[in-house]
Order: sequence, then structure tokens, then C-alpha cells
Amino acid sequence: MTFTETIERAREESRTLLSEVEAKIALAEAGVPVTVTRLAQTREEAVAQAEALRYPVALKVTSPNVAHKSDVGGVVLGLENQEEVANAYDEIISSVNANQPEAIIEGVSVQEMTAPGVEVIIGMTTDPQFGPVMMFGLGGIMVEVLGDVAFRLAPLGTGDAQDMINEIKGRQVLDGVRGQPPVDIDAIELILDRVSAFAAKHPEVLELDLNPVIASPEGAIAVDARIVLAEA
Amino acid sequence: MSVSGHPLDRMFNPKTVAVIGDKGPNYMWLRNNLPFKEKGGNLYSIQIDENEIPGIEDLGIENFKALTDIPEPIDYAIVAVPRHVSPFVLKDLIEAEVAGAAFFTSGFAETGEELGVSLQAQLTEMAEKANFNVIGPNCMGLYLPRVGIRFNPDVPVADDGRVGFISQSGTHSIMFSLVTGANGIHLSRCASFGNAIILDISDYLEYLTEDPETDVIAMYVEGVKDGTRFVQALRKATAQKPVVVWKGGQTAAGARATMSHTGSLASPQAVWEGIMRQSGAISTNNLDETVDVVKVLLDTKPSTSRRLALMAMTGGQSVSITDAFVREGFEVGPLTQDSYEELASFFNIIGGSFHNPLDMAGTVQGKREVLERILNILDKDKNVDGLVMEQSAMFGARQWKDNPERVSDLIDTLAKHIERSAKPFLMVMHPAHEEAFVAEVRLRFAERRIPVFASFERAASAAARALPRGTRS
Repeated sequence: MTFTETIERAREESRTLLSEVEAKIALAEAGVPVTVTRLAQTREEAVAQAEALRYPVALKVTSPNVAHKSDVGGVVLGLENQEEVANAYDEIISSVNANQPEAIIEGVSVQEMTAPGVEVIIGMTTDPQFGPVMMFGLGGIMVEVLGDVAFRLAPLGTGDAQDMINEIKGRQVLDGVRGQPPVDIDAIELILDRVSAFAAKHPEVLELDLNPVIASPEGAIAVDARIVLAEA
Repeated sequence: MSVSGHPLDRMFNPKTVAVIGDKGPNYMWLRNNLPFKEKGGNLYSIQIDENEIPGIEDLGIENFKALTDIPEPIDYAIVAVPRHVSPFVLKDLIEAEVAGAAFFTSGFAETGEELGVSLQAQLTEMAEKANFNVIGPNCMGLYLPRVGIRFNPDVPVADDGRVGFISQSGTHSIMFSLVTGANGIHLSRCASFGNAIILDISDYLEYLTEDPETDVIAMYVEGVKDGTRFVQALRKATAQKPVVVWKGGQTAAGARATMSHTGSLASPQAVWEGIMRQSGAISTNNLDETVDVVKVLLDTKPSTSRRLALMAMTGGQSVSITDAFVREGFEVGPLTQDSYEELASFFNIIGGSFHNPLDMAGTVQGKREVLERILNILDKDKNVDGLVMEQSAMFGARQWKDNPERVSDLIDTLAKHIERSAKPFLMVMHPAHEEAFVAEVRLRFAERRIPVFASFERAASAAARALPRGTRS
């Protein structure tokens, strides 16, 4: 399914929030590295998907109306074998149903896990005054508590991605602290530029989060993705 | 000099000006603009109230009862009539083919009440239809120091202004004009644009970008109506000359529905700050910062280097000046061996030090040739790319009052150094207990284009923002 078809389907279903699987497919097409993510609608499908990927895997609920998956018990990480995957599938379905009874559960996504690294957030939102803007920040506490993020108008020009990365106060973390090796800054810049180009190409996209993107010396990859469409 | 063909050009270079509806006992607008008449401009009054006319004529200003009676084309009109009269005045302005008008009149959409909003809508519709240049309403209009058009009786009339200022607030336009004036900095052109029903911030910015008399543009802005146009105008401007943007109203984001983390983090000021950096503008937060940054832009050479030599008069000050500049990200490192050898040959190290930061009062002792020698050594030192010197009024004022020639000597020495040197030079003169005296002396420094700052922190902050001239860090 092309992204245009995905948008059409979302419009038909009168929703503006794309599923993680939909978002990741669109972003992967746009050249943004994302973790391999497959949709499973039964526990057997979940096991089969997991077997086709590389362990460990993560399972996450796929739902158009669950905004924060982990808050409702919709995320289980670090699954090493078939049995753990099967159990995790059942656990997710029952806890999401218990915590948010009106949740529409389309299934569970099965995802490859990525090696640990530095969590960063890359996003796009539409400013009411200036239009589309790109954001970069360090993930976790740096963004939650300190709001240590940098914005630029989209589309980004030459040097803008680099400036955004250099602007944040926690910049040093990317160079490696306490013996950690420096992360691949070019890989982060590449994601910023590709998301910027993706947003420019698709004005229907109102907001976009890649949160987190895991950056390491080997590269950077989006582990979770969210796309919000403008009202039709 | 002007920007020929630009729609604002006649207003910004007026030969004939009409003040409409000014009243006694003060005749504020006519009095503000008497310098225009003295400088050869044609200043007229429009007033229909017979009781007001003798007072106007006493000022030596010819009064007419209708705009169309004025026997020549009018380049700029200042409108100070009650709000309900303003549509009638606008009609006359359009008929008389006036080039443009500032409406000092207020009581429009800014009140939020129905009559004000509808009167503003009426003015907007009329002006749009006639393609008429309206400044304001609810504004102080233009301040053109070269030709003597003013919005306040205390702002200077001057031929040498190089700074253009654009302001959404009337008060800030006046305060900026007064405070720069008190610092020996004159404006080329200034526009207070109020409710901006026709001419908006981008129109003025575009004019000042083209204006050959404006080297530096500064502005006070609370919000812009057309964000895309503003960013385009700003990028064009920063490609030509430094632009300083003082943003007012940096309040928290209003509750905006958002389904993304990015959206919830995108506060208006965070987005604004990003756009300013991306556009190459220098951001400031208040009046003093804005004046200080403008001072650096006008009167120092540019530099992207962070390596400074700091010249203090005493030990305590040498520590404090270093604290302030290091906090802003500057480096105060060792000088070259050559410099040390040369300085060691004459420096008085009892109660002094020639290591960076220098502690040099005991060596200089008010002697011009010694200061010159130190300046020359630092100027050719490869380890430093900029100089900052302090002179506290605590010690300076008494000496300078006793020996006025010392002030002249110091100013002359520094001015000549600045002329010769390719490195930025800043002077810090804390007023201590001598505010009035320092205000006077500071102006004499400014006349020779020596930038003087009131504190280490203000100098350091302005230098950090403005020495790189908005280039990418």
C-alpha cells in the first residue's frame, strides 16, 4: 500500500492517527531507518512473525485510539522465544482491554529490538503561524523535564540539521560520556533531512514523532513512529 | 538617499508633512515636528476648530481647513483625531492623494470592543480599496531624525543615524530612540506600526533592507500576521545587514490540541527562537540588550573567534571581567611568549599583572604612551582576537574631574587604536557612584565610536550575541 492509499484509508475510517505499522512503512519508503515491524492479529501470527525476525523482539498493541501504549500495558520488550511471545500477546490483549475497555485493538505489532544507544527524539509539527517545523532533542529525561529541544522551519536547508543537533544543551551526550563511544551524528542528520523532505512532500502530515530514535556509533534507527494527519 | 520606486519611499523621505487634528495647549505633534520645518520641510496643520487655530499659527505653522487646500503634494500625514472621525479623515487623505499617513488615533481593535473593531474594519476596507499606505492605527508613526520628523520632543534630530528600528509598540519605539540617543547612537529611520492594518512589519523590514542609510536593523515584535512573508523578508534582510529581533510577549503556549510529543514541546518561543537562528537574526529579550547588541554591531569589528584579552585596572576587576566573559563562552587564555617578554620589560608587577586578564592601572598610571604600547602588543598577539578594557568610574571619575585632559587623551588613544586594529574592541565603564558624570563621558566616547558598556555582564552578553554577526556558530 502506498502512503497515499494509507492516507485515503485513514480518511475513510475518519481517523487522523496512523498506526505505528502504517507510519513505519511510510517512513521506511522515505528512506528513514526504522525497526522491522509486522502486524499480528492472533497469538499464532505473532509467534510466526517473531520466528521470521531476529530475537529478542518487542510486542506493542496496535490501536487507532490508544495514545500511550505503555500506559495501558500495551508494550512488552525483550522476548526471547516462541513461548514468551505467545504469552506476551495474551497479556497485552487482556491488559489493554482491562485498562482501556473502549480501545479498538487491531492487533499487536511484532518488532525487532535494536542494540542500546542514546535515545533521541526527532519530530515535525505544524506551527499555526509559520507552518511545518522540525524538532530535534535528546530523549527521555532531557526532553521531558528540561525541554532541551531545537526547532527549525521545514524544509531544512543546508547545515540546519547540524545546527539543530549542536544547539541542544545536552549535545555532549552524543559525543559519548563516561567512556561511551560517540554516536553517528551523520545518521541523525540524515533522518532529520529525510523526515523534512517527507513532510514537504506530504502536506497532509500535520505532526510526526520518531520517539525514540536510538543513536549508536553504528547509526540511528527509529524504534517508534507516529504520524498525525490534518483533518480532511 | 532613498529607495526609489518603493511604495514607502515618499513617506520615509518627506518634503511636505501635514498634521491633522492637533490640539492645544501642547500641540504635541506640531511641536515634535518643528525641527522638520526648521530643516526646510513644509509643515502644515489641518484643523477646523477655530479656537485651536490661533495657537497653531503662533507656532509659525500654516493651518488649512481641508487637506485638498494644501497647495502641494503631501508625502506624510500624522492623524490625531478622535476615532469616530478617522474614516472621514482617511477619505480626505485618499482624495488628496497623500502618499501615506500614520494614525496616532487609538481605540480600535486593540480595545476588543465592538465599535473599535468595526471602525478598524472600516478603515482597513477603505485603505485596501484605495491602495493607501496606513501606518497604525494606534501607533506613534515615523521618526526620521535626518529630516526632523519626530514622535517625541526629546528624541534627537541627527544626520548620522545608521540604525533602522521597527516597533509594534509605541512606547518601545520612543524608549529605544531615547536610550540609543543617550548612548550616542542615532537612528536612520524608525517606524512604530501599532495595529498594522495595511503596512505590516515585513513592509518596513523590506524598506530598511534596501535603504542605503541603514546599516543595522533592529525591531521589537510581539507577533506577526503573515509568518511566511516575515521569514522571507527576514532572510533577505540578514543576507544584507545585521538584524536584531527583540521579541516581546514570551508567555507560555496557549493550550493547543496536539496528538504528538513534538507538538506539545513546540512552544511559540521555542519555535520562534529556532526560526531566528535559522534566519540569521540576533535575538534579544529587552531594551538594554537590544541597545547593547546594536552598539556592538555598529562600533566593533566582527569576529567569530572566542579568544579575548581582558584589560582591567585592578585585581578584583580583572577577576570579575573574566567571570563575566567566560560565562558567555569566551576564552581568556595565555598570550604569546613574545607578548610576555615585551610586557615584562616595562610592566609594574607590584600590584599588577601582565598575564591575561591584565591588571594594569599601576603600569598605565594615566599615561597615554604606556596604554598605546599595551594595546599594540595585544593587537599583534596571535593568541587573542579581541580586546575588552575596563575603567571603573570609582577611580576614573575623580582623576578625570581633576585632569580633564586625561579623558580626552584616553578617548583619543582608544579611537586611534580602533581605527588601526582589525580586532574588535569593547570598553566597560561601570558608573559606580557617578551615574551622571559617566553618562556625559560615555557620550564623548561614543562620538569617537568607542563602544562603552555599563557592566561586564552586559558587554559580555552583547559581544557573545553580536560579534559573530548572526553567522552560524
